[in-house]
Amino acid sequence: MTAFFQNLGLPFEGAWLLSTIIGILVIALPLMLAVAMIIYADRKIWAAMALRRGPNVVGPFGLLQSFADGAKVFLQETIIPSAANRTLFLIAPIITFTVALMAWAVIPFQVGVVLANINVGLLYILAISSLGVYGVVLSGWASNSKYPFYSAIRASAQMISYEVSIGFILITVVLWAGSFNISAIVESQKGYYGFLNGNGFNPLLFPMAIMFLISAMAETARAPFDLTEAESELVAGYQTEYSSMAFALFWLGEYANVILMCALNAILFWGGYLPPIDWAPLYYVPGIIWLFAKIFFFFFVFSWVKATVPRYRYDQLMRLGWKIFLPTSLLFVFLVSGFLMFTRYGGAQ
Amino acid sequence: MSLGYYVKSFTLWEFVKAHALTLKYFFKPKATINYPYEKNPISPRFRGEHALRRYPNGEERCIACKLCEAICPAQAITIEAQPRDDGSRRTTRYDIDMTKCIYCGFCQEACPVDAIVEGPNFEFSTETREELIYDKAKLLENGDKWERAIAANLAADAPYR
Amino acid sequence: MPKVKVDGVELEVPAGATVLQACELAGKEIPRFCYHERLSIAGNCRMCLVEVKPGPPKPQASCALPAAENQEIFTQTEMVKKAREGVMEFLLINHPLDCPICDQGGECDLQDQSVAYGKGSSRFDENKRAVTEKYMGPIVKTVMTRCIQCTRCVRFAEEVAGVPEIGAIYRGENMQITTYLEHAAKSELSGNVVDLCPVGALTSKPYAFEARPWELKKTHAIDVMDAVGTNIRLDSRGRQVLRAVPRINDDVNEEWASDKTRHNVDGLVRKRLDKPYVRKDGKLVPATWNEAFATIAAVKHGGSVAALAGDLLDCETMFAGKVLVERLGGSLLEGRQTGLAYDVSSLSAVNFNTTLNGLETADVILLVGTNLRWEAPLVNTRIRKAIKKGAKVFALGPQVDLTYKVEWLGNDASLLGRLPEAVVEAFGKAARPAMIVGGGVLAKDGAHGDTLALVETLGLVKEGWNGYNVLHFAAARMGGLMLGYAAQGGIKAVAAAKPKLLFSLGADEVDYSAFQDSFKVYVGHHGDKGAHAADVILPGASYAEKAGTYVNLEGRVQRGEKAVFAPGDAREDWSILRALSEVLGATLPFDSFEQLRAEMARAVPALGVEGLADYGWSVPSLPTGASGEFGFPIKDFYLTNAICRASPTMQQCSAELIHGETYAEAAE
Repeated sequence: MTAFFQNLGLPFEGAWLLSTIIGILVIALPLMLAVAMIIYADRKIWAAMALRRGPNVVGPFGLLQSFADGAKVFLQETIIPSAANRTLFLIAPIITFTVALMAWAVIPFQVGVVLANINVGLLYILAISSLGVYGVVLSGWASNSKYPFYSAIRASAQMISYEVSIGFILITVVLWAGSFNISAIVESQKGYYGFLNGNGFNPLLFPMAIMFLISAMAETARAPFDLTEAESELVAGYQTEYSSMAFALFWLGEYANVILMCALNAILFWGGYLPPIDWAPLYYVPGIIWLFAKIFFFFFVFSWVKATVPRYRYDQLMRLGWKIFLPTSLLFVFLVSGFLMFTRYGGAQ
Repeated sequence: MSLGYYVKSFTLWEFVKAHALTLKYFFKPKATINYPYEKNPISPRFRGEHALRRYPNGEERCIACKLCEAICPAQAITIEAQPRDDGSRRTTRYDIDMTKCIYCGFCQEACPVDAIVEGPNFEFSTETREELIYDKAKLLENGDKWERAIAANLAADAPYR
Repeated sequence: MPKVKVDGVELEVPAGATVLQACELAGKEIPRFCYHERLSIAGNCRMCLVEVKPGPPKPQASCALPAAENQEIFTQTEMVKKAREGVMEFLLINHPLDCPICDQGGECDLQDQSVAYGKGSSRFDENKRAVTEKYMGPIVKTVMTRCIQCTRCVRFAEEVAGVPEIGAIYRGENMQITTYLEHAAKSELSGNVVDLCPVGALTSKPYAFEARPWELKKTHAIDVMDAVGTNIRLDSRGRQVLRAVPRINDDVNEEWASDKTRHNVDGLVRKRLDKPYVRKDGKLVPATWNEAFATIAAVKHGGSVAALAGDLLDCETMFAGKVLVERLGGSLLEGRQTGLAYDVSSLSAVNFNTTLNGLETADVILLVGTNLRWEAPLVNTRIRKAIKKGAKVFALGPQVDLTYKVEWLGNDASLLGRLPEAVVEAFGKAARPAMIVGGGVLAKDGAHGDTLALVETLGLVKEGWNGYNVLHFAAARMGGLMLGYAAQGGIKAVAAAKPKLLFSLGADEVDYSAFQDSFKVYVGHHGDKGAHAADVILPGASYAEKAGTYVNLEGRVQRGEKAVFAPGDAREDWSILRALSEVLGATLPFDSFEQLRAEMARAVPALGVEGLADYGWSVPSLPTGASGEFGFPIKDFYLTNAICRASPTMQQCSAELIHGETYAEAAE
């Protein structure tokens, strides 16, 4: 795209800036739309599993429900508690939202279609998603209210715990792919057994795929790990004091994070924009469709789990993170690196 | 601690089963009805919005005996009575505070002339609390509006009283 | 003292007691409709049937059967139960099922007893009888279809009220209670038939459909319409008193109350003063309490302060007023608004010494210038009882119908000095002679002295008997006299002293033109004469809106309680005076009603004890030699005070019963 603008007579810097901004908008705006629709889908799926109907009044099949909610939230008054730290209180949702969007910069949607094709894409994602916890902690602290505070403490501990295992899980993938570049990771998943695309089909990485799925739920504080907003204990968690657009930003950020995690599931273990089966005709379908289909599948799984599994106790959550996922993922780092040492890199010389 | 236990544990078997169940429900017909467009049938004894009835000749039934006021456990009914110009006993004020009412139906049980009844209407939400304090005019209007349904319900329930 | 056995319990009953009374003494409840303790026995409702041995093998009406030695009475047997059920079924044959629209519903003897003793169903399929309504005056509403012919009203009218205008015509099923020729029952006690009626045939017309008994808050109070101090119960709902009914007090009102007592209560919500007013440029304009107080504080009175007490006041208000006047440096207190100036050096010389109960036992009675029917209807009923026991009544004054046989001696005050020989002779022979001097008589120069001289002549005071009675007609009178609301020379002397600051405590009968130069502060509850003349109006509480101590004409100290709150900004009178005193720099020495009462009891110990106050007996020497005609002070029974004048019911009674106006509300 930079080249396109250069042809129009712009200098390289200007063309690059313009094309980057357009690229950001091209990702961010549809992402917002996707969030809106995914919230609707979430509610519908959850309702269906509970034999309910879900939103069905606004628009055809209730499709416009999220937009109605958005308009409502937008028109509401922003209430700032008098005891709150005003600046931090307002910055917190912005951090959450921005961070949730930033990670999308390195996600490849198709061959070569990526905003920033950096070599350490996965590290970047790890770093950015770790920043997300600041939004939560700041909101809890700035609200100057006990439930948000408790919730923020829970959230930070929970996110940090699961980031540890996520880190190790990613290391197994990186080891296998031999690259931090996400496009490279996707490409490396081609042709398992000659016809399957995806790390998940690798018996050594399949358990990692499952663990990553579960950790992703914990990382995004989705059910059954939504202890940060366990309403019977903490009202609405760290969002308790928020209203209007500030509240909406949390929601948007949260769901953007959920979609990001679904995308990472798809990209790291299930072949990203590659078709699931390594068969030439399937490559005629654009990679972006495959990616979106996979993202949606994982989102369905997220909702499915939400509708099925009751909420964990906090100690159970911690036990799972530290006593099961951490050692298991560590074990698999050994297994994968050992396996690679003996096979790909010619054994112990 | 059998081997099966470990297998089940590591394959997340219980989770898989649970998810299979919820997936089954996912495709089942909905248990809820599409409310504003579909409605459940309601019993003739349904206790909904109150109404003051009239006789077929247009005379209001209520004779201001105040039995409903006395029986009301929520003390939602307020009645004031005066002789009307023709000397008959009538209410000058008949208020029901619908925000207090618990819809127990004692008022209609107490009424000796079937004047106050709880009709089949349950869709009378309002935007302000004030609108939920019903006065006599509102109750009589309700009676006129729902008379056919109320009369049918009373007739349907009559054999069991 | 026959000994009887009631349901196996042996007890002794007073001689002459009936079987019903014996059962009551044994603690058994006997249902009844026609029987009433204060009326003669009729025995026509048959509800009180019991089984009596020895006797015929059938149930007998216990109300009309004298208890005899060795009688065995059974009240719970199968026969009695069946008999009661049968009677109840008969009574209900023609009684309409209109309890929901009947005002008696909830306090109806027939309702209660049919639940307790009835069968629950009727075998009567024929049509019920219907009876046309009768006209019984503006107080009593009739629904004669409900009548069960117990004849309590007939007996009351004849025996107690003395107006035999109610009776029964036709017989059997067609029997009807009616007023002869449908005349209004012109008795001032007609309202009592409403209480007597065991069903809803006679109900209160002004109270028609107003309320149900279970909605009403019941407060014990003392009536202020006359000086008898009728014990009443005020039934109120919310902030309104809906009716007043008598309480039983055998020493005062027995079970009765006059129509004025019962039906003045609708005046309590009309023409009320509910905010302070201040006169500006000759016009009364609404003001705040502070403005009103400031206006009063601006008056330079220099100790020239007086207080006038109205007729409806409680002792506490009068006491607070008295202390305020004294603290401001004044001393002029007067309660006799119409100009009476009799000597009060001996309170016993202006007291009803025989007591109301004692009057029943008098054997010769001389009425001096008093229309008892209007001045104290309940005293009149006592004289009727005395006559029933054989008393003879003489009277001086204009002839009026007192409902009993009176020997009128003439309307000449000089007769007091030269009573006819026959009268003196009758008194000489009497064991318990009594004289009742009307309050209006005291207005006549020398009349008070004349009557006191008769104490000696007629031998009115004997061992254990004092037959000298003065009949006041203002509820506040005796209390006011005890508190010193009686200036030497009466109200004329107060006016002559030209007080700079005049407190009018509900005084509505005063001729205010005599107080042109005074700054008049009216503390009261109705916009009547006192309020019209006032420079500042401070809205106070009526008798229903404050607790108070009242002294009736016989010196009986009684206390009433507060039934409702005063309307609007109005406050209890004593608290107004207390607040005002602070602004005037003469703070009253009490902060609460209890402190006020204690302070009052310290000043006048008799007011601290409920019951008859002891005034001793002493005869002051007063000038004699009255002459001329007597006049009755009350011109219109139904409109004697501010509350009555504000009451539509009383206005109607006055128009209909006294001025003979007819209303189109005849029998339908």
